[in-house]
Amino acid sequence: MPKITIDGQTIEVSEGRTILQALDDAGLLMNGVDVPHYCWHPKLSIDGSCRLCQVEVEGAPKLQIACNTPVADGMVVRTDSERVKTAREGVMELLLVNHPLDCPICDQAGECKLQDYAFEYGVAESRSREPRRALQKNVDLGPTIVFDQERCILCRRCTRFCSEVTGTRELGIFRRGDESVIETFPGTSLDNPYSMNVADLCPVGALTTKDFRFKIRVWFLEDVPGVCTGCANGCNVHLGVANNKVYRYVPRRNDLVNDTWICDSGRMSYREIGSGRRLKQVLVRGPDGVPEARSFEAGIEEAAVRLRRIVDAMGGDALAGIASAHATNEDLLTFRRFLDALGATASGAAVIRGEADDLLIKQEKAPNAAGARALGFGDPEQVLERVRSCNVAAVVVMGHDVLDDVFLGGVDSLADIDTVIALDTDQSALQRVAHVMFPVRHAAEKHGTLTNWSDRVQRVTPAVEPAWDARSDGEVIHALGAALRLQGFEGAYDVRAVSRSLGSANPAFAGIDLDSVGDQGLPLHDGGDAAEGAHA
Amino acid sequence: MVISDEARSEIDREIAKYPEKRGALLPALHILHRELGHVAPETAQAVAEIFDIRPIEVMEVISFYNMFYDTPQPRHHVRVCSNLPCSLRGARTLLRQLESHLGITVGQSTPDGRIGLGHEECLGACAYAPMMRVDHKYHEYLDAEQAKRILDALD
Amino acid sequence: MLKVPYVTNYLTEHFGDDAFGTLPGYEGHGGYEAARKALTQMSGEDVIEAVKAAGLQGRGGAGFPTGMKWSFMPKETDQPKYLVCNADESEPGSFKDRIILERGPHLMLEGILIGAWATGAEKTFIYIRGEYAQAADEVERAVAEAYDKGYLGADVMGSGFRHDVVVQRGAGAYICGEETGLLESLEGKKGQPRKKPPFPAQYGAFGMPSTVNNVETFAHVPHIIGRGVDWFRSIGTEKSPGTTLFGVSGHVQRPGLFELPLGTKLHELVYEHAGGVPGGRKVKGVIPGGMSMPILPAEELDVPMANEFLRERKTMLGTGGIMVMDDTTCMVRVASVVAYFFRDESCGQCTQCREGTAWIHKVVDRIERGAGQQEDLDLLLDLAAKMEGQTICAFADAAAWPIQGLLRHFRADFEEHVRQRKCTFAESFGL
Repeated sequence: MPKITIDGQTIEVSEGRTILQALDDAGLLMNGVDVPHYCWHPKLSIDGSCRLCQVEVEGAPKLQIACNTPVADGMVVRTDSERVKTAREGVMELLLVNHPLDCPICDQAGECKLQDYAFEYGVAESRSREPRRALQKNVDLGPTIVFDQERCILCRRCTRFCSEVTGTRELGIFRRGDESVIETFPGTSLDNPYSMNVADLCPVGALTTKDFRFKIRVWFLEDVPGVCTGCANGCNVHLGVANNKVYRYVPRRNDLVNDTWICDSGRMSYREIGSGRRLKQVLVRGPDGVPEARSFEAGIEEAAVRLRRIVDAMGGDALAGIASAHATNEDLLTFRRFLDALGATASGAAVIRGEADDLLIKQEKAPNAAGARALGFGDPEQVLERVRSCNVAAVVVMGHDVLDDVFLGGVDSLADIDTVIALDTDQSALQRVAHVMFPVRHAAEKHGTLTNWSDRVQRVTPAVEPAWDARSDGEVIHALGAALRLQGFEGAYDVRAVSRSLGSANPAFAGIDLDSVGDQGLPLHDGGDAAEGAHA
Repeated sequence: MVISDEARSEIDREIAKYPEKRGALLPALHILHRELGHVAPETAQAVAEIFDIRPIEVMEVISFYNMFYDTPQPRHHVRVCSNLPCSLRGARTLLRQLESHLGITVGQSTPDGRIGLGHEECLGACAYAPMMRVDHKYHEYLDAEQAKRILDALD
Repeated sequence: MLKVPYVTNYLTEHFGDDAFGTLPGYEGHGGYEAARKALTQMSGEDVIEAVKAAGLQGRGGAGFPTGMKWSFMPKETDQPKYLVCNADESEPGSFKDRIILERGPHLMLEGILIGAWATGAEKTFIYIRGEYAQAADEVERAVAEAYDKGYLGADVMGSGFRHDVVVQRGAGAYICGEETGLLESLEGKKGQPRKKPPFPAQYGAFGMPSTVNNVETFAHVPHIIGRGVDWFRSIGTEKSPGTTLFGVSGHVQRPGLFELPLGTKLHELVYEHAGGVPGGRKVKGVIPGGMSMPILPAEELDVPMANEFLRERKTMLGTGGIMVMDDTTCMVRVASVVAYFFRDESCGQCTQCREGTAWIHKVVDRIERGAGQQEDLDLLLDLAAKMEGQTICAFADAAAWPIQGLLRHFRADFEEHVRQRKCTFAESFGL
């Protein structure tokens, strides 16, 4: 492999890469070696037009753009010389000549590369005395994005995204010179399943999402790494959190999962976390059939009494478990052990399917379908058939996906079951039939791991704390197991311990737990999903 | 039918000359300008279909070049070269005289839609200055009276 | 008839003869004999060596050695190779290529044919600026004649060599004269120059190995092949052999086209051939090579017109478009026209060019209006420095250099505007 020396530091680089790509590969870009850049983006074609990434290459008389200069063995690069500094100052000054400098009312403020780089690499005052270019503000580009032409620095990331990534080509650059401006074809709009990525790509405040506009200043947000739960892809995200509230998802780079993108519907799924539909109370069905709010302990006791009665009378075969692919591996392993301890033989996971594409969007509309399969929750049809035919006396059900038309098609078939114990993040029709119903945490509210469609195990961490008594599915099941005095359910629920034991349940998880997966996840060992765990 | 059969077959003949279809895009836009005077968005859509590209790409190209238009144009484009060699020989004075003769300013068209007056960057007639382009024809070594007569003779 | 006053040499010798534009007329003066010689007696390599030995420099502005450029074309390749003739002449002050296109299209075509043979190109695209309608008509007519005669097509002159020529008309964008801007335009795109690498010889027109040469450059080639390297080198200077077509415009008695050896003194061009400044006025400054090149003051007209001498005066031959300004001329107005042009024609890709050309124009205009400040002069120089050598193509350099030149030699004009808070050149051309 060729070696290049950057600011005295020698690194090995791959053949055929450019200087900027090599720095990115080595994890050094803006993380040890600062080469500021606007038009270059790791997941888009090289544009070479912003000219900010100019560096000194030994032997070249002119400064070279790092984004398009191929590495060569022995190349010596300087990013910190006086010439480079002057060139950067020049670009920054020129970009700011026509920029409206409306930072106080700009939503990008705080995460704006123009602000950041002007501070780092710019000059303190502008020498321009000329009127700034007047262009259109608040251009409604489509259902998701608002465009401020005056703030645009024409880096062409958004236009390249729409032609190279989505192939939809909604955005173009019209006219030329300092009259250049980004527009759509007359009468059309920016409208594709990934449209909101252009707001992340935009280094300035020109493209902003209608959803996040004017919600909160970004410096109040804490970025908590997490995973989108909208489908089986498991796109890595940062959850923008303030005041114990999630304000947005933005994609977090993971080259093996989602590059730097996320689909619009996944991005918008953050709203489920703070949704008004969240279930906030333990409900126990009263003598008149009306659900009443009870304490968690009361709910556990009621559920335990009911389950004990049935299992004692009819054996574990009378109990069915329906898992949710929204639950974590840890939740599901706890559930698995619970069902096994009671001798239940019928279980499965209800996973809703929908549209998919070639980019990110997967058919399975839950983040942990592969994890569920790996832990023994496969095709639910057998268990559902027993429910439909009233061939079970007790059902423990996670989430309401099972009520979908392709599964139970509502709650009617559950109405005749002796005991229905439900765990759900949201209020749902399950309330009408559940004898006990527990509110549970969303993936953004707990520790755990999720296994995506390609068997990559990724972790979630609590970004917010529910204001009501909500626990993870695992913790609820654990408490139930404890109340039933099941073996292995002693003591308090320890999600880390459960996570560390995933490998003993299915060797595909060996060495994989919520600590070891890190921020980028780890792949299951061979045969994870297909083996369907030790209990298949 | 936005594009006539004649124009379509002329475009096809141009396409045949290029290793890639799109090479004939500028020739096609010239053909359509000759026929329609401009290429409106709906025409651009038809062009895009011929070339297997997106309509927006056609519109971007139209917007980049001085000789392409996406809105209806006056019958005649009168363009006085105002670059340095012509300016040194009175082009800008000539332009002012034509403005007052036509009663419009640079960038405008006569109300009857007959003449659109503009200035243009160097037209490669520096030794023949001042000069103007009327549609595709150059008129060189001009004086104001001559130029006015040429404009008056336009249909 | 060639309308302008002119001086001829080997290129333009017969341009006064209307028949020279036709194939029989051209052949009547020995036309296509050099191509026949190349195709029948020389290998492609021989031709390239001859053009290299002749020291022919490209006549499109940059002066790059033509033979070397041709040698960059890959020899062993399965890909089709293309030649591109840059007839997008748009440099203010230049009109020489137009005259070749209109008066000697076969001379250019013969040069193309020899270049195609040398580089193994199967096709040539002649890209003619859209405004040159008459020139394009002439070239299309000449191309048709050449096909009819078997000088183009499947079996050129019975040699078995295939060559096709396609004429494309531009649509009004100066930047398409930049070779990769031209390639983009030829491919039906906006004429935005390409970043390099890759270079055209590897990835040119339609992604194939290509070489782009200017009209006049091609026109010299038949003469080099026909009359020999030594003959060519006997004209012009040691480092810059041959003649070139100087166009002289502006404040002269006889604006015209003068084919003279490289190294001819600028003084001789302005005073002898173009007749000097009319009305008893004096020369104030001369732009020697098209608008992109820095101006020279009257005291420096002793310079021989070849790059090795012009570089010493911080300017270049460019396209040989000489613009003469007399002593009534306001150099701030000149700067304004120059700055407006580059602002108008910037393709808008690179930050420095897009923003810099506009800023320079606004500052110059403000100075001209009498609202300038002393600091503005240094600001202009600083902006020019920040544009120079930092962009995808040389356009930003071309926009920066003339401003630097005007301030280098005529700073007093700018300072006078700032001091008087107005333009004091009452007799200057108006804006």
